[in-house]
Formats: sequence, structure tokens, C-alpha cells
Amino acid sequence: MAAIPDGPVKSETELEVKPDSVNDIAGNPNVVQGIGGTPKTSPSVAATVASVTPPDITDRQTLLAVLQFLKKNKLLESEETLRKESGLCLDNEEQSGSVDGGSVCATGDAEGSDASLLSRVSGVTSAPAAAAVTGAPVPAKVTSATSAGDDQPDVSVVLSAYSQQGDPALYQVYYSGLKKFIESVLDCHRAELSQVFYPLFVHMYLELVYNQHEAEAKDFFDKFHGDQECYYQDDLRVLSGLTKKEHMKGNETLLDFRTSKFVLRISRDSYQLLKRHLQERQNNQIWNIIQEHLYIDIFDGMPRSKSQIDSMSGSLAGEARREANKAKVFYGLLKEPEIEVPLDDEDEEAENEEGKPKKKKPKKDSLGSKSKKQDPNAPQQNRIPLPELKDSDKLDKIMNMKEATKRIRLGPDSLPSICFYTFLNAYQGLTAVDFTDDSSLIAGGFADSTVRVWSVTPKKLRGVKSAADLSLIDKESDDVLERIMDEKTASESKILYGHSGPVYGTSFSPDRNYLLSCSEDGTVRLWSLQTFTCLVGYKGHNYPVWDTQFSPYGYYFVSGGHDRVARLWATDHYQPLRMFSGHLADVTSTRFHPNCNYVVTGSADRTIRLWDVLTGNCVRILTGHKGPIHSLAFSPNGKFLASGATDGRILLWDIGHGVMIGELKGHTDTIYALKFSRDGEILASGSMDNTVKLWDATKAFDDIETDDFTAATGHITLPENSQDILLGTYVTKSTAVVHVHFTRRNLLLAAGSYNP
Amino acid sequence: MASVKSAPKDAQVMVQILKDMGITEYEPRVINQMLEFTYRYVTTILEDAKIYSSHAKKSNVDADDVRLAIQCRMDQSFTSPPPRDFLLEVARQKNQTPLPLIKPYCGPRLPPDRYCLTAPNYRLKSLQKKGSSVGRITAPRLSVGAVTSRPSTPTLGNPAQTVSVTNKPVTPVSLSGQRFTVQIPTSQSSTIKSAATSTNTVQNVLINPSLIGSKNIVITTNMVSSQTSSNEANSLKRKHEDDDDYDAL
Repeated sequence: MAAIPDGPVKSETELEVKPDSVNDIAGNPNVVQGIGGTPKTSPSVAATVASVTPPDITDRQTLLAVLQFLKKNKLLESEETLRKESGLCLDNEEQSGSVDGGSVCATGDAEGSDASLLSRVSGVTSAPAAAAVTGAPVPAKVTSATSAGDDQPDVSVVLSAYSQQGDPALYQVYYSGLKKFIESVLDCHRAELSQVFYPLFVHMYLELVYNQHEAEAKDFFDKFHGDQECYYQDDLRVLSGLTKKEHMKGNETLLDFRTSKFVLRISRDSYQLLKRHLQERQNNQIWNIIQEHLYIDIFDGMPRSKSQIDSMSGSLAGEARREANKAKVFYGLLKEPEIEVPLDDEDEEAENEEGKPKKKKPKKDSLGSKSKKQDPNAPQQNRIPLPELKDSDKLDKIMNMKEATKRIRLGPDSLPSICFYTFLNAYQGLTAVDFTDDSSLIAGGFADSTVRVWSVTPKKLRGVKSAADLSLIDKESDDVLERIMDEKTASESKILYGHSGPVYGTSFSPDRNYLLSCSEDGTVRLWSLQTFTCLVGYKGHNYPVWDTQFSPYGYYFVSGGHDRVARLWATDHYQPLRMFSGHLADVTSTRFHPNCNYVVTGSADRTIRLWDVLTGNCVRILTGHKGPIHSLAFSPNGKFLASGATDGRILLWDIGHGVMIGELKGHTDTIYALKFSRDGEILASGSMDNTVKLWDATKAFDDIETDDFTAATGHITLPENSQDILLGTYVTKSTAVVHVHFTRRNLLLAAGSYNP
Repeated sequence: MASVKSAPKDAQVMVQILKDMGITEYEPRVINQMLEFTYRYVTTILEDAKIYSSHAKKSNVDADDVRLAIQCRMDQSFTSPPPRDFLLEVARQKNQTPLPLIKPYCGPRLPPDRYCLTAPNYRLKSLQKKGSSVGRITAPRLSVGAVTSRPSTPTLGNPAQTVSVTNKPVTPVSLSGQRFTVQIPTSQSSTIKSAATSTNTVQNVLINPSLIGSKNIVITTNMVSSQTSSNEANSLKRKHEDDDDYDAL
């Protein structure tokens, strides 16, 4: 079942299907379930409706609504039965009723009126005592809702879901009743059932606001918002500013919150308790809300403890369903191509140093040929098309391998040295930093919409010569790549102008030819690092783009922004190739997997999603952070993911199983930078609290035990070992750390801007 | 910082709003910015509402007018990102197409030139009076790469810069990494004076940005201007002709 109903029609069927799956199949004669279902249940509907005492105006209208609905769904027999049972007096009303119904159908779109009719019906039958209250305003509200649906069809559909309502004054009574019940329940169930409070609170509040009961809404909010978990306080603050129905229309995040179901994972025992309690009562609005807006993922087994629940909850959509994390993920790395490494005379580290005649036998790259067999967890080489290896790339790889031999092995007793690049006089304008892979260039994105590139090495930055001069050089000379550079333009840094808004993300291409930058103006720009000019502006997001990254092989890049989608682009297509849509709030961070087949996005809705580049599907949903996620890092072996958010925690995830395997507490402010060392032994994190912390990654990943139960249910008990894993804390002088980077020899570079 | 007592009531309201939304650290100018925004927003809405109410021939502005004004402004300035089902639908369609294969060995992989920002963003103006008896000379249809950065080449009325003139007829030449000039033989009119007074003007360089090469190629089309007298007459009228130049192309 899709996580999100992709249309109001589907939501209807889900409403029908869900009662069957959620409840026992004992054929519970609950009136609520039978709506719009099989014909044999509709006479029971008719019976209940007819049994309500003398049909006054409101009941007649609801009867007409039911008739309309049945007619629309071609349930002609049941329509006949209902008509017969409810009496012929309806015939007179039918004319006006059908006109009314017709106008309802005409103004909105058909699906909208279906859903609204359905909600009217279910609202009425579940609260017969309150029918007098609901009946009259409900049709009026429905028409107004559907007529106001000329802006966006789904807004009216979504908002019309609130046309059902109980007595506004009784909402507090319902909620406190539930509170009392949950407090009286056994300890082991209480933690699980308490998960219901937050979504219920928000939905009830929004219902009151939508139906324009401002005073009751305010009272409700004031009374109960303090009871919610502390990590929802940010959301509640936003809610507190939302007091009128008009405020709801512009807020896309809230609208998404409405259409998608908040997922709760409750054990079967706890769920039975809750269901029994709620169904005992007759006019219970809470049961309606739970059925409509919550998805309860039931599992068999022990109820979870409070700490277990707390570690996984916090996102705007609840937790992830078990099915969402079941797809196979190819987290292995692609095979490196075999490259012949020629020995050259200047290589001092050659084995034969003692003066023996050096053998000129070329060394083969031993890394690639170790296993001829395909790693079962690695994707096929040609699963996604990748650019071929150019000669310059091969040279780069050879350099990389040479550097790798000189790499320092890190560990708890051999910590890296940290070289910090402080941006002075940036006036709080530094918003993004990136290093090239070989650490020769730094790019800084600034709030004044410039991008500046510096050279870290003594070698200056040069632009390519002009055409006139290029024609004069000798193309056959060995150092032609040097000669094409124009010495007159040599400088330490270059400034790139072009954006019209603060630059929020920068990324170098692996071959150091291009630089990407994304900005608040909604564009992603590709700059050439040979001419230091802008080559392309990719327009697709019309809203601020928060992050962008080149793929490890170049050619593809991913960007994510305020429009809640992440897009995959290729440098030679002016439109995106893939759109990763599903987040409820802005996409704040986007990263490629080392094998280039997956993209991970972190969002302001506090979830992390892993997307498959080939199909565009979301293959993993990871919840647990309590704030927007600002940094993501894959381990070099591709198996694990580290994520940092505004809550100051770093969470470690096993991608293959889709479970959380570690939590690193220590930072006190947003973590903007995360990087694993080159061999994955150390995780470095930089944060707004002016520190860089080093964590022992091997230890953190060794401790995991993914037995079958954990993998199946996703329940983890996290060890409280943050202190053991923390290897060192390095404080800067009031410089927030924006980026960390390990050089090829495992020296740690970090960057930030000094703000005293 | 001004004491709280002397701050105007609106500013105190702003401070309270920031406190309610949980913002504890902010520069003092933020209050001013918020006040300015509020004032501008409210006056815009009310002005719009006045227009709507006068359009509806009402004597007073009432709540409906204000509501309408707010709605129109919202759609105009404060747009929100597309709704979720729309995004899901678009994503579904886009994700169905397979990833395009990558052509090997084709240099810098960039989109077609009209989507790039690599074309020159200026054109060169010509001094030649259009519509005169000399006749309209259009630049030859030769594809040209990006213009060189050398400023000296496009000379306007600088007789010292005599560029080499060849009498070859215009032919589409193959582009190689050279700089060359092409002379367009002008239609000879009877008023051509001697070469001493001829000035080398550069006709508008027609840049066809469809070809981007790594080597910059410049084509300067040299025209032997017809007569100085007409030029003198033209110089007085040059301002009007500027429009003609742009219209011509």
C-alpha cells in the first residue's frame, strides 16, 4: 500500500479497506465501517438512518447525500432499498436535493465531492446525537469548501476532510477522556499509546481551526500543548501562530501532514486496548480521526519501551512502515577499473630504494582484481550509465593510489591532525564550503551571492588563455596543459558572480573542472574552473535550493530545495532526469552514495529518505531525528550512513537493513558537517557550537547486533556509549564549523567563518 | 538600544511576536524590517481593497474587499510550492523514462547552447548608416565562435587600424583555429571616394552561438564606407540610426 493516497478516490477505498485490515475480521457491526462498502451493509446504514427519529431538514439532506453517493458509485440496488426504506417523502425533496447535489458536484471536482459526501455521511452516522448540530452547517460547509476549491483541487479535498465535526465544545472532553484512559493503562502499554497524543492533538486543533471555532481552538491548544513531547515544540510553535482557516491554505507542509497518514507502530495488545476503549463510546470523534489520519502499523510482540519509542519518533510523519524499508538496496561499491600504474623514476617510495636497479615492471592495481566475483550487495556496473574514464581521470586515480599508500592509518590511538581554514571578515555571510577531493581548492558560497574559489596549494589559479593566444601555442608540446593557462590571470582566489541570492551549497566535480553552486534564487549554476565563468544555469526549482552535490563519478548531480523535492540532473541536460518527491517539508541535504546508484536526502520533516537513481523510488525511510537534518555522510564502504541535525545528535544507520544502529550525543548545536575518514575508521563532525568532534566509527559499527528480530521489526535498543566512542573534542575560537574534509592522506581539514 | 518604555507600541508587538515564536537572538534591525514589511503589506492590501470596493460601487471598504485583496496578493507575491499530489504525478512521469546513455568522448558535457550561458551577451554596433544608397550589407552567414576578448579588433571608425583586406569573395570558410578577416565587397556606388578617406568599419558581427569551440574565432567584416560626406551627414543623425541598427537585426 502506498504510503500516501495519491488521490481522493483512493482515500475512499483505503477507508473501506483499512477497517477490514485493521480490525478483526469478526464482522464487527460497527456502523462506521460499512460506509460505501458492499451493498449488504448499506441497508444497515439505511436502517440506522431511518431509525433516527422524524426526518427533519438536516436528515433529509444527509439522506439525499447518501442517495447521491450510492448513485454515483452505481450501487443501484442499495439506492433503491434506501429510497424505499426512508419513505417516499423524499421524492419532493429530490428535485431540490439533486440540484443542490448537482451544484456541489459541479463546483468542485467530482472526486472532491465524493470525498466530502463520504465524510459527511460518516460524520453523521458516527455522531447521531450531534446530528442536529452537524447537519445544517455541514452541507453549507461542503459547498463552500468545494466552491473554494477552484485554486487547487486537492486543497479543497483535503480541507473538506474536516467538514465532519463533533461538537467543538466537547473536543476538550474527548481529549481529556483519552488522556485519563491512557494514564490508567498498564505501564508497558502506556508508552506506546502515548504516541497517539501528538497526531491527535494536531488534527483536532486543525479541525477546530478549519471549522472556524477560534475560541475553542485556542482553549484547546492552551490546555493541552504542554503535554506533548518536548521534541514537538517547534511544530507546536508554528501551530500556535495558525489561528484562522485562511492560514492553513498557504502552508504546504501542513497540507502534506493532512494528506499523508501519520504512522504509528503499536503492538497488537496495546492496539486492542485502545480500540476497545474507543469503540465503547458512541459519539467519539477520536476514533474517526484515528481512522482517517493515522496509520497504525501493528506488530506482534512485546510493546516497546519509552526510550525505544523516543529514539525512533520525532518526524512529521510518524515512523516508517515496515514495508517501506524492505526493498533491496545495493549498498556495495562498484568495482574499480584496473589501471596500470607505471613506475617512474621520481617515485622515492619505490620498494627498491637501496640502489638496486629498479625494475620497470608496471604494477597492476591490485585493489580491483581481488575478487573476480560480483559482490552480491553491489549493483551491476551498468545499472546506471556512468561516464567513461578519460585519460585525465586515470591519471587522477593513479595519483589517488599513490597518495593512498602514504595514508596514515587512523584509530583511537592515532588521531588525525586537524587543519582549520578560518574565513575572516565574512560578516556571517559564509553559507557553504567545499574542498576538492585532492584538497587543492576551496570554494566558499556567500550570502552576498558570490562564490569564491581559493587555491590551497602554492600553485595559483589561472584561467585559460584567450582564443588568440591559444592559436599561437604549440599543440604538440608535452606541457601543453600548462601552456594553455594564462599567466596574466594568475591569482590566489577568484570570485564568481552570477547568482542573485545567497549561495547555500557548493560542490566540486571529481575531475576538478567544474564547480556547482545552488542558491536562494532557485537555480543551480555550473562554473568552469578553467575559464572561471559560468557555463549553465539549471532552472527547475523555483524556490530556494538548499543543497547540491556532484556524483562521485561526475556528470550527475543532485539538488534539493524548498519545493520538497530533490532532483537528479546531468550536466548535459537542461531538465532534471529524476525527481525524488515524497518529503513533507524542505529537502535540506542531499548526498550521493559512493556507488552512485542511490541518493540520500535529509529534510526539514526530520526524516531521511534513500532514493534509487534508476527508478526514482524511495527505498528507505529513516526516522529518529528531532530536528531538520543538515548533514549526511556515507561510510566509504557504502554500508552505513551518518546523519546530523539541529538537535545536536548524530545518528548512525545500517542501510541494508534500514535500522538505526547508533546515536552519538555530545554536540549542543546544529551539526553542519560530517565526514568519514578515507578508510572509515573515524567520523569527524563539525557543529555550530564551535567544536569539531572525532568519533570512533569502527567501534560504533562493531557493536551492532542485527538479529532477525531487530531486522524484522526495526526495534533497537541503543547502547549508551557515546562517551566511549567520542575520541576528541576540539574547540575553535568562536568559529562555527561549516565543513570538514579528510585529505587523501587522512589529514583532517575543516572550514568555518569567524564570528566573534 | 532604546529603552522599552520609549519604543513605539508596534515595535513592542514585534518583540512579543519574536518571543512567541521562540526566536531569542536577533539583530535590533530586524524589528525595523518587520515594521516596514508590515506597513508596506497592509497599505498595499488596503489600497487594493479600496480599488475593489470602488469597482463594486460600494461606499465603504468592507471585509470582503479586504479578503479579495489578500487572496490576490497571495497568489501573486507569496506563492507556495506546488502541492504534493502534483509533485508525485510529475515525479512518476519523469522517473519512468530511462536514464539516457552517455555518449563517450564528447568533450565538455553541456546542454545545447541555447540553454547555456556561454554565448556573448553583447553585439557590436556599426556606424554605417542604414538605408543609404550604399545598400544594406548583411554580414555573411558564417558561424562564429565566441568573440575574442581583444578590444582592439572591433574598431569603429578608427582609420589607424587597417585590418588586412583581401579581395576574396565571400565564401563559407571552414573554421579552424585561426583568426581571419573577410572582406565583403560592397556594392560599388558612384560616390565612392578614394581609399584615403575610407574608414574601416566593422559591420555588426553576426554571432551564431550554435557553435562553441575552444578556439575563439573572430570574423570582422570590413566595409569600405562610401563617402565621408554622407558620414558627416550621418553623424548628425546617428542617434536615430541607432534604433535602425537594432531593428535591422
